[in-house]
This record gives sequence, C-alpha cells and structure tokens, in this order.
Amino acid sequence: MKIQKQQAMRNVLIGLSPLILAAIYFFGWRFIAVYLVVGAAGLLSEWFMSKRYGYKITESLFVTATLFALSLPPTIPLWIAAVGIAFGVIFGKMVFGGFGRNIFNPAITARAFVYISFGVPMTAHFLSPQTAVSSFPAGFGVFSSAADSVAAATPLITKSADHLSLLLGNVAGSFGETSAVLILLGGLFIIYKKAANWKTVVSAIAAFLLFQTILWMTDTAQAADPLYALLSGSFIFAAFFMITDPVSSSQSTDIGRIIYGAAFGLLTVLIRIFSSWAEGVTFAILLVNMFAPLLDYLIKEAKKKNKAKRAAIEKGGNA
Amino acid sequence: MNEMLFPIAVFFAAAFTNNILLTNYLGMCSFLSVSKEIETSAGLGIAVTFVMALTTALNWVVYHLILVPFELEYLRFIVFIIVIAAFVQLIEMVIERYSEGLYFALGIFLPLITVNCAILGASLFMVIRDYSFITTFFFGLGSGIGWFIAIMAMAGIRQKLKTAKIPVGLDGAGIALIIAGFMAMAFMGFSGMITIS
Repeated sequence: MKIQKQQAMRNVLIGLSPLILAAIYFFGWRFIAVYLVVGAAGLLSEWFMSKRYGYKITESLFVTATLFALSLPPTIPLWIAAVGIAFGVIFGKMVFGGFGRNIFNPAITARAFVYISFGVPMTAHFLSPQTAVSSFPAGFGVFSSAADSVAAATPLITKSADHLSLLLGNVAGSFGETSAVLILLGGLFIIYKKAANWKTVVSAIAAFLLFQTILWMTDTAQAADPLYALLSGSFIFAAFFMITDPVSSSQSTDIGRIIYGAAFGLLTVLIRIFSSWAEGVTFAILLVNMFAPLLDYLIKEAKKKNKAKRAAIEKGGNA
Repeated sequence: MNEMLFPIAVFFAAAFTNNILLTNYLGMCSFLSVSKEIETSAGLGIAVTFVMALTTALNWVVYHLILVPFELEYLRFIVFIIVIAAFVQLIEMVIERYSEGLYFALGIFLPLITVNCAILGASLFMVIRDYSFITTFFFGLGSGIGWFIAIMAMAGIRQKLKTAKIPVGLDGAGIALIIAGFMAMAFMGFSGMITIS
C-alpha cells in the first residue's frame, strides 16, 4: 500500500498531538483504543475505495481519523466509531473523487452521521474527566475514567463550570475538545506553519463573540456569557482544526475566508441557542461547507464584473 | 405566538427549519436535473419562488371562497393543479408580451414549474396547517426562497465537481442525491428553532 506524503497534513498532526496526550490524561487509555479502531477502519475504507477506483491514499486520512476520534465522547462504543469513519471516508470523501475533491469535511460528515444516527451514545454518556488530574499519572494510569466516575452532562448544558476548568480542560466533554489552552497551542502552531489560514479563524471567533455578546446582553434564551460559551463545547477546536481544512472551506480569496469564518461563528451560536441541539458546531460546519463553492463562485463573478467596469471606465477616459 | 409576528416566523421556518426541499423532499426532480449550472439554477429558483408565493395565495382564495362554501374540499388536488397550470400559462403570456428579456431568461422554466411537486405541496400544506391569507403568502414566499437557496448551493457544488473523477456509476444523479443527503443533514441543525403549525 502506497501512501502519498503531504507536509501540511503532517503539520496538522503535530498540532493535534497535545490534544491526543490530553485525551489520555483526562479520559484514560481508552482513547487510544478508539483512535486505533478509527484509524484502522478509516485506512481500510480508503484502501478499498482506492483499489477499486484508482485513487491515491493520502496522509490526509490520518488527519481525518484524528479529528474524528478527538470529536467523539469518551464512552463511545468502538463499533460506532468504526461505522462513523467508514461513512466519512467513503461517502464524505472518496465518492467525490478522493482527496482534494470532497465538498464536505470528511471528519465532520462522519461525526454528523453518528450524531444523528446514534443520539444517545453520542450525547448522553459524557464523563467527568479523571477526577484526580492534579495527582500525576491521572488518566495515564487507567484504561477508562468510566470506572470511578459517573456520567456527566457537558458544561454546555449545565452552564456551571468555572472558567479556569474550561480553559485547562478539566470538564466533561468529547475527547479532544475540553482543553482550550492546548487547542490554542496546537492551533497557533498550524497557523504558524501555514497549514491553516488565520483570517478564517479570527473572523469565526470574532463573529461568535459578537453575536453571543449581543444575546447575552439582551438576556435572550438564557445565553451564557461570551467567554464561557467560547470555552465550552467544541467551538475553538473546530475553529482552528475543522473549518481551516483547505479543501472544503472557501479558499480562493481573503474576503471569502472572512465571510466563511464569520458565517460559521454566527451559525454555531444560532444553532446552540435556538435549536433543539445542545451543540451547533457540527451542523454549522456542514452548512458553511455546503455554501462555500457558491460563495467562491459569487466572489469570482463580482471581481470579474468589477474588473470589466474599471476597464470600461479607463477606456472611456482615454477616448 | 404574537399574531403580527406569526407570518414572519412562518416565513423563516419555511425557508430554513422546514425547508420544502431538504426536510420535506419536495421538488426533487427539477432540483436534480437543472442544478448543473449556477446561472440556470438561479433562473429556475427565482421562477419557483415567484410562482410559489403567488399560487399558494391564489389557491388559498380558491379554497376558502369556492371549495369550502360548496363543500368541495375533496376536489382540492385537481383544482390546485388546474389553478397552478392556468396561472403559469397566464404569467408566461404576460411576460412574453411585456418583458422579452425576462421571458427568455425564465422561458423554459415556467412550463417546467407547472409539474413541480413543491408548488402543489406548498398549497396542500397551507390547507393542512390552516393558515390565514397573510400567513399563506409568507409561507409560499419562504418555501420558494428555501428552495432557491437549496438549488443554488447544489449548483455551486456541482459546478465545482465538474472536473472531479467521480466513480462511474455515481456520476450525475447518484452523486447529486448523495450531496442532497448531506445538505439535508446540515439543515437538520435548524430543527426545533421555530415551529410552524
């Protein structure tokens, strides 16, 4: 089996590595079991499709698998993880013609698919992280933090965690989404390495904070305070690692990137607060993925028109 | 809910939470066949929006002022279809007479719309949900705009995929249905935001 090398994808994997360690630290070695299952099932799906249709196997698969594994809740049954990644790789990526052609981010299609299909395992069984995180081996000493902690709701629902825990990651949540500090660290690394574009990230976070602040100030639908909302759930994780995916995002112009990021921020707040789902990130990404090609097209057309107009004016001036 | 705001809420619900195409799967046929180019999709989308807003309102009048007083509600399927077909013909003639540009832009799409199930669907929903006249108009308009948004996104995606190497069996309608599935999945995110009946 030949795997095509991609430097940008390696950088993303390096950026994600602190989150992998954190996932073990907070939730035990079970994360590695999930990770291996996801990686193997993903590779198998990609290999199957590439053998049948002659596509290349690329390293982007490992990024997809890592992102998907990190976005799962700690008690996820292994078979659901396997089904999810197989769906994401085959239907999210390969049927569109393999890497570089997918319209939707494969990791997020996988997650949306299992989120909709298996509601209870995906939302009802979050765990508090290994309670004794302050004492050294913490999660490194156990297979799963499930043994000695009870199922807990995420801070998105309870709205009661303190900001410091949210920042450090000592709260219930999906494997990789809890620690804002480490996400920031990895995220800044991939921006520094130019594997992600900072304009998308900044506009997403700015739009998110702005909209959340408005709702919080007007006290609409018990909106949480902006900082709490930013740190809880998977918003920053997605803002750095999911929407910056160079294939499925708006990628041709700066204005496109800014609109794309801002739309993601707004939609996340909208879905979190007003819809029946607790977390809006998954759907918000799918929605912006879905409109990105149209957005790129419209910007291109507008530019063309502008250019033609300017040329016409210049011509008129000369005559 | 506030009486005055209800039509507005229905408008947004029809466009997003209960998108006629992506949550009710109506109007699929033209959605799949005409979504290859952005420009033609825009033409069809505008035509659908226009016809849907006006025919649902017209059908409301026909239903409540003719069918209900004569107790002929069971005829509504046939009557609605006739009203839509007649209305589309009329519009076509008027446009042909007064605006040649618009006629050639919409020309081919107008007859197509007569058989678009989303249009009939909107009229039937209006009956089932017992909307008032104003609400009906906003519902028709919202449904049309929702349909427009969906076909535009689809056309954008398919235009981007033009050079992609899609597995032979899936090229065309197959990949379009897979994309429509993903779009429907994305629109599930709006569920529960506004209720409309």
